[in-house]
Amino acid sequence: MKGNEALAEAAIRAGADAYFGYPITPQSEVIEYLMAEKPTDRTGMVVLQAESEIAAINMVYGAAGAGKKVMTSSSSPGISLKQEGISYIAGAELPCLYANVVRGGPGLGTIQPSQADYFQSTKGGGHGDYRQIVLAPASVQEMADFVRDGFDLAFKYRIPVLILSDGVIGQMMEKVELFDPIPRLTDDEINERYPWATTGKKSGTERRIITSLDLDSHKMEEHNHKLQAKYQEITEKEVRYELIDCDDAEYIYVAYGSSARIAQKAVKLARAKGIKAGLFRLITLFPFPSVKMFEMCGKGIKGFLAVEMSAGQMVEDVHLSVKGCSKVEHFGRYGGIVHTPEEVLEALEQKIIGG
Amino acid sequence: MAKVRGAIVVDVEKCKGCEVCIPACPTDVIALAKEVNGKGYHYAYMEDPEACIGCTNCAIVCPDGVITVYKVKL
Repeated sequence: MKGNEALAEAAIRAGADAYFGYPITPQSEVIEYLMAEKPTDRTGMVVLQAESEIAAINMVYGAAGAGKKVMTSSSSPGISLKQEGISYIAGAELPCLYANVVRGGPGLGTIQPSQADYFQSTKGGGHGDYRQIVLAPASVQEMADFVRDGFDLAFKYRIPVLILSDGVIGQMMEKVELFDPIPRLTDDEINERYPWATTGKKSGTERRIITSLDLDSHKMEEHNHKLQAKYQEITEKEVRYELIDCDDAEYIYVAYGSSARIAQKAVKLARAKGIKAGLFRLITLFPFPSVKMFEMCGKGIKGFLAVEMSAGQMVEDVHLSVKGCSKVEHFGRYGGIVHTPEEVLEALEQKIIGG
Repeated sequence: MAKVRGAIVVDVEKCKGCEVCIPACPTDVIALAKEVNGKGYHYAYMEDPEACIGCTNCAIVCPDGVITVYKVKL
């Protein structure tokens, strides 16, 4: 299955109630697959092509407010358009899942893969003090699994969850083991399980209000405190990463998504040459595994090389985590070019070992 | 025996221009077109049709199965 198709199939199986999207290369297969598969017949899931990305994200806002499992997806320029809606969803504390199949930028850029949306994804692309959980799949299998996990996280914390993929993972074909379908929740179940969802006021119940607006600054500050406490809890509990060949490593590659796959090959090449390299693969980009990375510094690590298809975005978080205890450098091709394992190995030799 | 030459047919709309077929071809027949398909990808096409030997290497490596190989009698 293609990465995008796996994402779409996983959405149906995860028991999603609705998908609102707008096509953009290299993400179009998601909505194509959903349209062809007719999930209304399979599970009753609604799939709709909105008139624009902005309409799509606001449909997500509305459906999420009603306690529905709802998702959307797009690629870089489309995600930029959606930022306003995402900020509103974060402000109103609603759960939703969206996927970004990143392409080269800035502007319309190119349709080839890139990882240049890291800042937008992890530092908040929209306005206001909000954060979102960012999951970075590195295989088609994870594209499918993270849909289920993403919905779980979104509803656990009432927060937007982003699957930050890229053109490589979205267009790549691999074998996938799909999880068993989870049935959709009925209206009664939603009403019972989510005491915040606007499902229609019945006599004798409190009004449920979904809003991100409060003109009383003191109340707004309190609301922000609550949000920050939630983000702190997520930072403590939901960090995910994978360490590959790191036990005896002296040099560590830090990478996520398709760059992690390339770096993993570079680790093999380095080990064949006698260089003790390892890979720190990030799975959650927010929360960032800072604590683990700082811990590793003291254990004989001589340097970290951040490998990403951007001009140096994730490397800033590596710097902040390492706190100057170790050497940190960046390597990456960008604008739609994907680096080769040989280039990644050469960068380690020149920038970290030689430099 | 009649002389046989190969020919490939590319499903243009499904091709994503990943270029995997280009190094797989032993006689350098395939290149990416200057034009793009509906999704905006430069698709594979026969740049040098004379040289095709119909070995099917390109069809085997294509991750999306967009290439079909025919053998043409001359």
